[in-house]
Amino acid sequence: MLTFDVLVIGSGGAGMRAALEAVRQQGLSVGLMTKMFPTRSATGCAQGGINGSLQNADPNDSIEKHIFDTVKGSDYLGDQDAIEHFITAMPDAIRELDFLGVPFSRDSEGRIAQRNFGGASSPRTCFSADVTGHVILHALYEQCLQHGVKILADWYLLQLVTDEGKLSGVVAYDLKGGRIVPIAVKAVVIATGGAGRMYWLRTTNPFTSTGDGIAACFEAGIPVKDPEFVQFHPTGLAGTGILMSEASRGEGGYLLNNKGERFMSRYAPKKMELATRDLVSQAIETEIKEGRGFGEGLSAYVQLDLRHLGREKILERLPQIRELAITFEQVDPINEPIPIRPSCHYSMGGIDVIDYKTCATAVDGVFAAGEAACVSIHGANRLGGNSLADIVAFGKFAGLGAATCAKQRGASNESSVDLAAHTWADKFAAVTTRKTGVTTAALRDSLAEIMWNNVGVFRTADEMEAALAVVDRLIAEYQNVMIPDQNKLYNSAFVNYIELGSMLTLAKTVVLGALNRKESRGSHCRADFPSRDDDNFLKHTLVAKQNGEFQVAYRPVVITKYPPAERKY
Amino acid sequence: MRQITYIVTRFDGVKSFTQTYTFPHQPGKTLLWGLITIKETLDSSLAFTAACRAAVCGACAIRVNGQAFLACETPLDGILDRFGDTLTIEPLQNFPVIRDLVVNWEPKAERLAAANTWLKPQDNFSAKEGCKQSVADFKKITPQINCILCGACASECSKLSANSDDFLEPFTYSKVWKFVADSRDKDAAARVKAIVDKGLWKCLHCVECVTKCPKGLAPGEDIARLRQMSIKMGYTDNPGARHAKAFLQDIEDTGRLNETKLSLRTIGMIGSIGKLPFALRLLRRGKLNPLHAPSKVKGHEQIKAILKAVRESEQ
Amino acid sequence: MKYAFFPGCVLEGAAKENYIATTAVAKALGIELVEIPGWTCCGASHVQDVDDLAATAINARNIALAEQMNMPLLTVCNTCTLMLRKAKAKLDGGQKEKINGILAKADLQYQGTSEITHLLWVLLKDYGLDKLQAAVKRPLKGLKVAGYYGCHILRPPALMDFEDFANPQSLEKLIASLGGQPVEFGHRLKCCGFHATYTAEPDMIAITGQTNQSAVEAGADCMVTPCPLCQMSLDMNQPEGQAAVNCHQEMPVLHLAQLVGLALGLSPEQLGINRHIAGREVIQAKIK
Repeated sequence: MLTFDVLVIGSGGAGMRAALEAVRQQGLSVGLMTKMFPTRSATGCAQGGINGSLQNADPNDSIEKHIFDTVKGSDYLGDQDAIEHFITAMPDAIRELDFLGVPFSRDSEGRIAQRNFGGASSPRTCFSADVTGHVILHALYEQCLQHGVKILADWYLLQLVTDEGKLSGVVAYDLKGGRIVPIAVKAVVIATGGAGRMYWLRTTNPFTSTGDGIAACFEAGIPVKDPEFVQFHPTGLAGTGILMSEASRGEGGYLLNNKGERFMSRYAPKKMELATRDLVSQAIETEIKEGRGFGEGLSAYVQLDLRHLGREKILERLPQIRELAITFEQVDPINEPIPIRPSCHYSMGGIDVIDYKTCATAVDGVFAAGEAACVSIHGANRLGGNSLADIVAFGKFAGLGAATCAKQRGASNESSVDLAAHTWADKFAAVTTRKTGVTTAALRDSLAEIMWNNVGVFRTADEMEAALAVVDRLIAEYQNVMIPDQNKLYNSAFVNYIELGSMLTLAKTVVLGALNRKESRGSHCRADFPSRDDDNFLKHTLVAKQNGEFQVAYRPVVITKYPPAERKY
Repeated sequence: MRQITYIVTRFDGVKSFTQTYTFPHQPGKTLLWGLITIKETLDSSLAFTAACRAAVCGACAIRVNGQAFLACETPLDGILDRFGDTLTIEPLQNFPVIRDLVVNWEPKAERLAAANTWLKPQDNFSAKEGCKQSVADFKKITPQINCILCGACASECSKLSANSDDFLEPFTYSKVWKFVADSRDKDAAARVKAIVDKGLWKCLHCVECVTKCPKGLAPGEDIARLRQMSIKMGYTDNPGARHAKAFLQDIEDTGRLNETKLSLRTIGMIGSIGKLPFALRLLRRGKLNPLHAPSKVKGHEQIKAILKAVRESEQ
Repeated sequence: MKYAFFPGCVLEGAAKENYIATTAVAKALGIELVEIPGWTCCGASHVQDVDDLAATAINARNIALAEQMNMPLLTVCNTCTLMLRKAKAKLDGGQKEKINGILAKADLQYQGTSEITHLLWVLLKDYGLDKLQAAVKRPLKGLKVAGYYGCHILRPPALMDFEDFANPQSLEKLIASLGGQPVEFGHRLKCCGFHATYTAEPDMIAITGQTNQSAVEAGADCMVTPCPLCQMSLDMNQPEGQAAVNCHQEMPVLHLAQLVGLALGLSPEQLGINRHIAGREVIQAKIK
């Protein structure tokens, strides 16, 4: 049987950083599994920057300020001990990225340049033009090549196999080989990213962001923490949801309604367009709801105006987003404002990590890092620039954590992994030989519609109850999906089917978490409970599968230095 | 209702075949939209890779009527205007095909690794302190950092199509140049030396790579930069360098190419003797006149002055 | 119609027939070609591999000389066209001052007043195909002509923006206006490999063979190309190319001016076709 001491699943920034760290520990067999070619990951879509208090742009910035900004940004749901551990590691982590080859934009003294970003008290977002995630991803891939990391490209995770709360291994679909493979693993790092595609078209995420790792952990008994906290990025292109980086606002862009008004003055008079993402998204949706947007219904939008920045600045600092606006909206931001609308962008929630220093979960041998994980450092809302920071910091912690664990664990129970693989082979046969049924795309579209309409930026109990009913119905119909492709070789229809299953499972956790959280906090905004309720809800939601049922539980937030205060920008 | 047809070259692991799909036109869509429409409404077994749909992950490059495009950012209407409403869709050329339009990148990863495409930071930098780099030096590498490894440049590369054993993908040469030009790197000399032996002088100058790159890179020009640097570093004992230098020498000497001497100067006496049948063939038709040597062109002193000024400005 | 004529090096030597044909055709059409006095080699895509500034400066001089003549610059070789247009783009794109500083040492200045064009573009745009068709004396009836563009008249599209690089039609339109039957064949847009004659010779030979074979398979009687380098590669190497792909049908490869000249009533000898390696008899037979 194929065996690894450490198997990292997911090849974004967190996954590749974890693999590199595990390889550094020497004497372990390390593998990196990813469902496409490694550089196709969502990390490459991140544009604006990576936060760290390097004090290059502002010598008065400090780690403590960054910690507080993150805590406040999280609307006080972030665990402050974890946040401190994370933020403290960032300046070193960024300097190391420079050393590993990431090409950063520079200041006049040759140091890493930093710019303003949402919810930040000081300009501390390090960047590379507007392709920061892309250059970090490719530099980490170059490092994987240098260090000979064994990469299983086009291998798709099907299941985590556990015995009595301990990891035995993994079942994976080797797409190029056309076979379902059992892998014995001592320690796994799940770094498979977020699940924004449950909103399908109204998301900035790639097609691949279907939450497979989170769902696999959920099936293995690990709770999903804070699932209801879904970040809607304020500026996705109106037609396609493609991301217009926060950097466009960081460099001074304006948001305008149909009266030509910079409406953020009414919602966040101090920070204006650079308030936190949840606030800006809610502001935009309110403007649209109250008739001050352009267009109607799903086609409604407001404007992102960059014209006053001038041609030179746009070409130097925001070249990629200009290309995107021209290609996908036929608008040149040098001459015209860009039509934008909030799009689902990031999952603050995810796999319940219970040790922020090692990224361990409740299952021995299972670690999680990056967007797939919830530590929680982002709480109810993530600051822009903190996700690229998250993945390099926690990727390293998880790689080390997994390597240490692997050194201590004994050999895996191969027979249970083998059995699981056989079950999957049977499932593949059953699903692909069904003669009638519904299509994956039809169920997926129904899911996306109910999620955007009923569990979107603004939420109410009635709408969410209705959503829960629909999701349950879709989960039932899922058993009846027809896949008219029996070829085992690179069966993308089968992969899409399993991805849909992940999205349905996670959508249910989102709805349950949202229904049961009777307050508004961060990105979770309820019209029927418009205020934050620290007395009752200063706690993390935990949705877990017990005896086949979805159970909701809670765990208190760790508060160290900053008691919850009013959150104004 | 206007109908669009994709004739797709498919592969199921055993055999290759084409399958024709027809679907209704919608304005303002992309090539990728067509593939997704087929997959979701006609045939969910059609395999292709796509992820970001925003031209940054490089997953969706395909060939349309023999030319590579990044499917997610290529407007379908423009392609239809150019080729008509029936399109031939194939996977990228010069990659092994896994299934349908899905190609295998693993061999390319090995070739990237063989070219040492990672930063080797200068000794005065460290993981703890990071590096320093001027704004001007960062600008030197900004085109090359945008490569998304989409493979479009490799698909139509004329040299790769002829023989990939002694040549690397255009994106690999761009990556090597990226590190040669990166002021943080300490290994420029060794990189240039190594790349001379990895087909640097075999590029045919067909400019397909520059034409196809969706991110504005120009691998052919990066190859030229590597060649210039290899000559500056003294790696001139090869036909490619000698051939190129002969042209500049001829311009300096007379202003015109001396065809008769070109072969001798490029591949030497023995090599030229090997080309004797070819030369005789030309002689017979009057195409080669061994007695003809160009004389100095009018205004030749201008050329000397210009080349002198060029050399001085490069001091 | 008056042009500053830039023949390019090979028209003095191995592709002299193109010089013969070009000047004969220009005369027949009433296009006045005034050879630029003292023009130099354009660098042929090789000098830029040694010294990019030298390549630009030398071509800046060529363009400046044409500007002194107050005429647009006309080329008949794809690579010359690309080299000159590349230099012009660099000059117009910000390097004018620097290069003029160098040209000043030779008492020259680049003004930016000249255009760089190719005979193919002139025939289509300046002269016009209707007028060309009216001048045809021997329509190429029944002659199946495969148009082979050659890389440098199409790519990169930013510099060579006369027509669509992915589906150009200028040769096809020209062939039709001469009375011939244009044949689009698989290799019509591909590279001939000429510039790697010495560094990748086996590949160049294989490509030569494949190109000829592609034209044969498409049913062409002959090929036409606007680039003498492509013509030389496909003609002079034809025996080796044919051997490489085991295809033994001779495929005449005509220079653009030669095809036009035949349609204007000139004889193959008057157009230098007797200097070709391959397909001389084929042309003689077809042009009866």
